[in-house]
Amino acid sequence: MAPEPSAALQLWHQPGAFVWQHQVWQKWVTRIQMALLTQQLGLSLTHLSSAVIQRHFSITGASLAIQKLTRVRVVDNSALGNTPYHRPPKCIHVYNKTGVGKVGDKILLAIKGEKKKALIVGHKMPGPTMTPRFDSNNVVLIEDNGNPIGTRIKTPIPYILRQREGEFSKVLAIARNFV
Amino acid sequence: MAGCGLLGRLARRLWAAAPGRPLWAAASGSRGQLGFVVRHVNSATWWHEHLSEENVEFLKKITAEEYKAQTASKLCPLKDEPWPLNEWKPDSIRVGVVAVKLGMMPIWTKSGKKHAVTLLKVQDCHVLRYISKEESGGKISKLLVGGKNGSPFFKSEAAMEIFKEAGVPPKQKVTTFNVTDDAIIKPGTPLYAAHFRPGQFVDVTAKTIGKGFQGVMKRWGFKGQPASHGQTKTHRRPGAISTNKASKVYRGKKMPGKMGNIYRTSFGLKVWRINTKHDIIYVNGSVPGHTNCLVKVKDSKLPTYKDCNKNPPFPTFFADGDENLPEDLYDEEIFQFTDPSVTYA
Amino acid sequence: MAAACGRLWRPNAGVLGLAARPARCLSLSGCRISSDGKPAKFQPPPKPVIIDKQKQRDEKRFLSPEFIPPRGRIDPLKLFLERKDMIQRRKVFNIPEFYVGSILAVTTADPYANNKTNRFVGICIQRGGKGLGATFVLRNVIEGQGVEICYELYSPRIQAIEVLKLEKRLDDNLMYLRDALPEYSTFDMNMKPVSHLDHEEVPVNKLQVRMKPKPWSKRWERPKYNIKGIKFELPEAKMRAAQKWSQPWLEFDMMREYDTSKIEEKIWKESG
Repeated sequence: MAPEPSAALQLWHQPGAFVWQHQVWQKWVTRIQMALLTQQLGLSLTHLSSAVIQRHFSITGASLAIQKLTRVRVVDNSALGNTPYHRPPKCIHVYNKTGVGKVGDKILLAIKGEKKKALIVGHKMPGPTMTPRFDSNNVVLIEDNGNPIGTRIKTPIPYILRQREGEFSKVLAIARNFV
Repeated sequence: MAGCGLLGRLARRLWAAAPGRPLWAAASGSRGQLGFVVRHVNSATWWHEHLSEENVEFLKKITAEEYKAQTASKLCPLKDEPWPLNEWKPDSIRVGVVAVKLGMMPIWTKSGKKHAVTLLKVQDCHVLRYISKEESGGKISKLLVGGKNGSPFFKSEAAMEIFKEAGVPPKQKVTTFNVTDDAIIKPGTPLYAAHFRPGQFVDVTAKTIGKGFQGVMKRWGFKGQPASHGQTKTHRRPGAISTNKASKVYRGKKMPGKMGNIYRTSFGLKVWRINTKHDIIYVNGSVPGHTNCLVKVKDSKLPTYKDCNKNPPFPTFFADGDENLPEDLYDEEIFQFTDPSVTYA
Repeated sequence: MAAACGRLWRPNAGVLGLAARPARCLSLSGCRISSDGKPAKFQPPPKPVIIDKQKQRDEKRFLSPEFIPPRGRIDPLKLFLERKDMIQRRKVFNIPEFYVGSILAVTTADPYANNKTNRFVGICIQRGGKGLGATFVLRNVIEGQGVEICYELYSPRIQAIEVLKLEKRLDDNLMYLRDALPEYSTFDMNMKPVSHLDHEEVPVNKLQVRMKPKPWSKRWERPKYNIKGIKFELPEAKMRAAQKWSQPWLEFDMMREYDTSKIEEKIWKESG
């Protein structure tokens, strides 16, 4: 189990910061090269440090809909989903007809340089009324045959998933509480 | 330019007369002040020319009373000489009604599922005329039905003739319904919401909301062109409209033009509920047209719903006390608000 | 009916209040006559007038916001029919008085839940919709995960609405709690109801929440939202820059005014 503060951090700083850091780094590298040319290295370095401190960790919020290239949050306790990596897990395909993933849809994730299937167990996009809407896009990693990789789900799961009890019985079995 | 010059001269003359201000006053006396937007009022009827204001008021009052009395007298159709009533047969086609679209609201079923319904009010709906099979061209007989009382002041004599014959006030909307010979109704008979019954399916026809002159993207759903990547003045255009070989534009090519304000029909809408007191039909889903527009409601012609539309009130529902209906008729699936909350056992 | 509908619907309450006032006037006049006219003849002291605190409260009856129709050209008959259904539902099911900022517990029938019922506790962050389609949104943070549920007020699936803490906040819409620190929207699922006397004024909780670092879902510092319940910790320059979007002329726009007092009166008259 990850300690509580870091989980919270992960919650509200959706990853993607790494991408930003990379871009900004490149930008600053070019700027520094220019600065070297103009012999004003010291000045721009101070600018750089102050700018980095002022900037926040994350640049964009997570997408509401789960579609291709949406950054998602893995909520089970599998090793694959919980070890830090410089690139956040991203959805690279949604296995349904609309291309927008809802609760109960399977998606393909790009996570830690490998492809892995996952099941959506909550999203930011508001669904039908009287169903929960979550503050993050939650997925549970599953094998190709539908068995979950982890052994526990940390967050609440919508009851509506039980509608398809037969399909996801193993995922529902590792869930701790429902909303 | 000539017009401009003329206007300029006029303005100058008015300005010259301004110190004393009599010309301004004279001009503003009848038309309101210059530069003031006056709401357009249609005052071009015979009434306005020939009658004093009090007389117009008096006539308005008296006609309103007369029409009210007429409608009231028609509420109880004379039972002494009605047209012969026939039994309902699977191939008979009933008349429909003209209704006012009031708006939408939610409704719940006993299983807790929500549906959106449109409220249609059957308001002053009367059968106006019977057109026999021979008159109408030999195929099917017709019934003219009008709904919602309108003003008689803006209708021509010829148009008023039909209402005079039927003995009902003039209507805002008159439509034709094709009916079979066994379903004909005597002109002057009022129609009610109880003409339809919960559980049956109806088709609703109305004029859609007018959108004005629109381009191909909105009117026909064309894709348009990208916003960037070197597009010059080409973002929402139709593109090519024909081929080199055809060398002509085919008829019916989808082009920009006036959108909406045409008759459209929603088929197979379920009737969930009927209010017999206020004559409201609660119809599943949406209906063409804006709120407060007049729509035409008839039994669904879709063959799928033939079984649901069996044994309706035939040829229509008569409010003569033979059939005592409660105020609200519900479909058996509908949750009524007098019941306690839904539970799943 | 009055018992079933609780505080919201007491149609005969206004009549009671009116009846009480003339009675008191009569007793006063009786006193005066006896004092200046007739010599001392024993008069029993006037009965103590028990002013029921409940009755005082009737002056400010609460009308649920969904009863006020939106502006437009909707037929009054349609609004009336809808209201009739709403009142009918309120007769069999107790919908209590609550506001944005109150903490509620809602029990719904759910075919997939254990015992077929589902209870959710949370703070009401928004009330939406008019007429039968009225909704309210509850928010809570469960195990570090923010959860919101939008309920239909008149849905027959709702089995009970319980007000755990009746209070208002500084704003009419608390959607900014999504961007606030999670402790401000964390509530215990087994929270005990806080008692609130009927005649008391509904308290306003003047809490100002602290926000997570930007980005937020909306730029709450902009004057458009007119948020009072946030403790902004932004640089002074940013707060000043946000004022650039203020539209101070809008409050003088008389076309935007929507006076609902007459409509409310009419609805009260119709229902009572």
